[in-house]
Amino acid sequence: MESGGLLEQLGIHWQLLLSQAVNFFILLIVLRAFVYKPLLNTIKKRTERIQEGLEKAAEADIRLKEVDNIAKAHLKKTDQEAIEIIKSTEQRAELLRQSLQKKAEDHQKELMAQVEAGHKRQQEEVKKMVFDQALELVKKTLVKTVQMDPKHIDEALIKKAALEVKNHE
Amino acid sequence: MEEISLKAQEIFNIGGFGITNSLASTLVVSLVLIAGALIIRRNIRLVPGTFQAAIEMASEQLLELMSSMLGSMKKAEQYFPLIATIFIFIMASNFSGILPGVGSLLVEHGGHEVSLFRSPAADLNFTLAFAIISVITTNVIGMMAVGTFHHIGKFLNFKSPIGFFIGILEIISEFAKIISLSFRLFGNVFAGEVLLTIVAFLAPYVVPLPFLGLEIFVGFIQAFVFAMLTLVSISLHTTLHGEEH
Repeated sequence: MESGGLLEQLGIHWQLLLSQAVNFFILLIVLRAFVYKPLLNTIKKRTERIQEGLEKAAEADIRLKEVDNIAKAHLKKTDQEAIEIIKSTEQRAELLRQSLQKKAEDHQKELMAQVEAGHKRQQEEVKKMVFDQALELVKKTLVKTVQMDPKHIDEALIKKAALEVKNHE
Repeated sequence: MEEISLKAQEIFNIGGFGITNSLASTLVVSLVLIAGALIIRRNIRLVPGTFQAAIEMASEQLLELMSSMLGSMKKAEQYFPLIATIFIFIMASNFSGILPGVGSLLVEHGGHEVSLFRSPAADLNFTLAFAIISVITTNVIGMMAVGTFHHIGKFLNFKSPIGFFIGILEIISEFAKIISLSFRLFGNVFAGEVLLTIVAFLAPYVVPLPFLGLEIFVGFIQAFVFAMLTLVSISLHTTLHGEEH
């Protein structure tokens, strides 16, 4: 009973001990369910999200670099293609220019030939007309000369006759 | 001056079960903590506010401390509720002892005037219950962690006379733990209560203020010490012999 007396003096009762223990376990269960678990889950979820965000950011950086490289490659390829197109266009333009020039020269030569031929023909026609007129003149002059007195035939008379003929006309 | 009593006083009786002022305080503290838990649960957000951030920071600090002592974060998370509840409950109980009204509100019971509330840890039932819970729980955790036979083998070792003697010492140390844990907490808080009562009687104004500050500090430290000793005990019981070195 001495130990019982000591416990009594210290105020220790098994019912109170048990009630304190039960109280603690109830509190433990409540705090575990309503605070610790949700809080740790939230922290874990947030950590995961942050981790995920960092990973995605790193992935995005890599993607961005890849896209940048692809864009640069495309740009380079496009530049080369543009240069090729310009070169080929220049070549084609040069060929076209040469061809057109040749055609123009040919056409010019042809025209020149036509003009020359026309000119020659006109010259021939003029010559022929002059000759014919000269022939006619001589013929008429001779006729008038024959009609005149042969004694007085001299150069002045012939000239006079020619003038007369001319005036007659 | 108010009568200083070593044991908690009964304030009323329910069906032969005497409710002491200390138990009443414990119940009030528990209800406040449960209400706080419900409020926290309702307000937990993925993007924390100031209060939630403070709670999270404290939790993470405690988890890191536990992790460094237990050797892994997984273990720390597993035993976190027990250690955190011990710490929070004891600290809240200690702080409740310095609230206005605790010790000064009186009720009449059995022809005597007794305090309505008394600091929970100023009652050996509270501290002893916690010490018993701590020792039993740490042993159960030890059994679950290293195996029942291996754990019991620490106490009942028949391989050699030295081992047997060490086993006996281990058993004694477990009981000593109960006594040391309970009386350390009880002694500190009860001494604080006595000190505050005497100082408040001798110089009721201003002078008790530094002692109240001291009691806040002691209340925090004692809760921390109790939780840490439980944690050390868990750490020792969950480590296999040979892992220690």
